[in-house]
Amino acid sequence: MNTASGFIRALESGTRHLFVKRFTLRYPEQKLKFVGDGYQFDPKKGVGIAGLRGRHILFHDKCTGCQLCSIACEGIAEAIAMVKVDEQWKQNKKSIMPQIDYGKCVFCGLCVDACPFYALYMTNDYELSSYTKQHLIYTPSQLAIKPIDNGEVEIKIDSRGASHG
Amino acid sequence: MSSLDEKIEEAKKLSMHIVKESEDDKLMTLSVGPQHPGTGHFRFIIKLDGDYIVNVNLDLGYVHRGEEKMCEYRNYFTNIPHLERPVIHDSANITYSYSLAVEDLIGITVPRRGQFLRALTSELDRINYTLYWLAIYGIFLGHSTMFMWPAADRELVLDLLERLTGHRITHAFNIPGGVRNDMPNNFKEKCLSQINYLEKRLKEYEHIFYNNPLFRQRTEGVGILSKEDAIKLGVTGSVLRASGVPYDIRKVEPYDIYNEIDFNVQYMKTCDSFARAYIPFLDVRESCHIIRELLDKMPESGDVREKLLSNIKGPPGESFKRVESGRGALSYHLVSDGTSRPYRVKISTGSFRNIIALPFLLVGSKLGDMPAIYWSLNYWPIEADR
Repeated sequence: MNTASGFIRALESGTRHLFVKRFTLRYPEQKLKFVGDGYQFDPKKGVGIAGLRGRHILFHDKCTGCQLCSIACEGIAEAIAMVKVDEQWKQNKKSIMPQIDYGKCVFCGLCVDACPFYALYMTNDYELSSYTKQHLIYTPSQLAIKPIDNGEVEIKIDSRGASHG
Repeated sequence: MSSLDEKIEEAKKLSMHIVKESEDDKLMTLSVGPQHPGTGHFRFIIKLDGDYIVNVNLDLGYVHRGEEKMCEYRNYFTNIPHLERPVIHDSANITYSYSLAVEDLIGITVPRRGQFLRALTSELDRINYTLYWLAIYGIFLGHSTMFMWPAADRELVLDLLERLTGHRITHAFNIPGGVRNDMPNNFKEKCLSQINYLEKRLKEYEHIFYNNPLFRQRTEGVGILSKEDAIKLGVTGSVLRASGVPYDIRKVEPYDIYNEIDFNVQYMKTCDSFARAYIPFLDVRESCHIIRELLDKMPESGDVREKLLSNIKGPPGESFKRVESGRGALSYHLVSDGTSRPYRVKISTGSFRNIIALPFLLVGSKLGDMPAIYWSLNYWPIEADR
């Protein structure tokens, strides 16, 4: 290919992009849609269910306070601490439940794999920023709240290129 | 004070980085990095004679994290999250060979569907890494469009990885015994449409970047690494293939299901910077082809993970496995003494083996050619330091 046609081809390729949709996610107004309700794990089959690994969700009626999630986190992030809760549950004699420090968590989800009682899952909530380190520590009652999932934008591909809807 | 001393003092005041080396004003020492935009956490000290480079000293180790030592204090599963930190864009490949080595040690085989899913993540991550590398190569040579396009199109691959593994980078998806979870619904259709679109975009990259006469002038015939030198220096991956050696671990030592996949090893015989920049791009094309083939041949259902105890004990012995990562051969040598933790883990990465060639390539070339040679070596500073 000679020099002139090379330049013309390059310019033409660039100019064509005046008519192509912009590939930008306008983040606070638009939010991405994810598959499922977050990463879950089925201990019977020993395999996970695909989903985003965001903030955890803790089911108080299933947690037995066995500390397996806390042990799984040893050597990874050491973000999980078992704390005393006021509630009384039949299956949880010691009344202890995990408290997660999101300043340390790496969102690997190995704690979810360790839970044999379907009590700890992950959710689609990824907006965890806060002004203080103290607010990043989520207590068992905070972890029980189901996040609001309002993402609706997906990548669409048409004749004018790919874009976020 | 003589006039020469005054001159030296004056030159020292002018800039912190420029130090006059000798009295006859001939050689100049130039320190590139460790905070130079682009070099990353890495420095090389160049000695210049006029515009020509006469000596290069590498100064590595700014981001040494002690990954190998950290492995000795964690069990075979909790090693996964920290091992993928050196290359967050290519984390599927860096945990791939580790998982293979552990499986070899314990003596288990991964279910067939799990092997396909592993290869799929590995290829998606290869594309992801190479597009990021290409974006930086573009901005190194002053081509800002080539920075914007791959950085935006990476989103297509990141979206797929997010659906499949749950994270855009550092997926912790490969694990000894298989993969963490199965494919979500409708993943196959989504993957095919986005990969097909990416392939169309690759043609435009060729028009605006690889066939651009300006880019060709800056890279063709620059930094020649001959076939013999490449083998002697022990470079790997795209750098070796750009020097005319068709060597790919996926072909030479097929792991998992790669022996069933039909693909070509891309190599060029021009041995220059252009070849080293073009080979990863051709690899991306080949990866698109492999992904389509993997999705086609994948069994419809089946197990993806072999159940293992979370504190599994490896029998005393050794294992050595390697995979082809985005930057070349990535190998793990694992030694076990029978406890639940590895006794010794040795990681050999493509980045470290490729950067060894830099002093040999830079000597004799102009300073202006330095960015074109340096980033063509397909190098990732953090992975080299481990």
